[in-house]
Amino acid sequence: MNQILDDQTIEINLPSKVGYERVAMASAAALARLGGLAPERVEDLKSAVAEACINAMQHGNNWRPEARVVVHMDVSADRFIVSVTDQGDGVPEVPKYPGIEKIIEEKVSPRGLGVFMIQQLVDKVNFNQTADGGHTMTMEIRSTK
Amino acid sequence: MTQANEIQMEQLGAVTLLDIRGDITILSESFLNDAYEDANNQGAGKILLKFQEDAYINSGGISVLIQLLAKTEQNAQQIGIIGLSDHFTKIFNMVGITKFAKIYKTREDALEAMS
Repeated sequence: MNQILDDQTIEINLPSKVGYERVAMASAAALARLGGLAPERVEDLKSAVAEACINAMQHGNNWRPEARVVVHMDVSADRFIVSVTDQGDGVPEVPKYPGIEKIIEEKVSPRGLGVFMIQQLVDKVNFNQTADGGHTMTMEIRSTK
Repeated sequence: MTQANEIQMEQLGAVTLLDIRGDITILSESFLNDAYEDANNQGAGKILLKFQEDAYINSGGISVLIQLLAKTEQNAQQIGIIGLSDHFTKIFNMVGITKFAKIYKTREDALEAMS
């Protein structure tokens, strides 16, 4: 994960602990505001970054505090790109949110809810394996919708 | 990192208000369930959930709320929600919560509609 960092880029390295997603969320919001993202989009970004970090800590790193989550953020005039990388093997298949009716009426697990929220909140999302065995979720959000 | 919710229950005519202070995450599960059980044990038929507008709500918290809605559905209870920001109103619509609970702009709107 050796990427060039410039004045439009920040990188955060988090332990896999409940609540630490908020550090990334607050940083993303601050950088997005500096980059001029519309307030509504900043809110979308905050939730998407939080969900991606939780996903990485939970499903990628199995909540092992020593396993890190690296959040790389890059802002430009018209978009914000954020990648969230864990140290696990990632999920073999992105879980599909079953919908609230199935959860309530058929007692199906709500697994996939976080990824579903991300897919609805950002303009583009990709999932990739990294060369060293981790997993990266990359999200792109445009300045205005 | 610890988190606690403070939940105050208030009876407003036929409506039981649960005023929820704090963020809504997976750590809210026991607080919300205990508050719901208290309301349910007192025979609540109409429950109004009030959130703080600046609360952080994530998928873990939404999952807890959905499990709560499964109980209210089973017990044929009417659920209203107030205090959400525009962003979380959008998210609650997105994930389907509004199929099982109605979001109101104000407490007065909610009480008028639910009473």
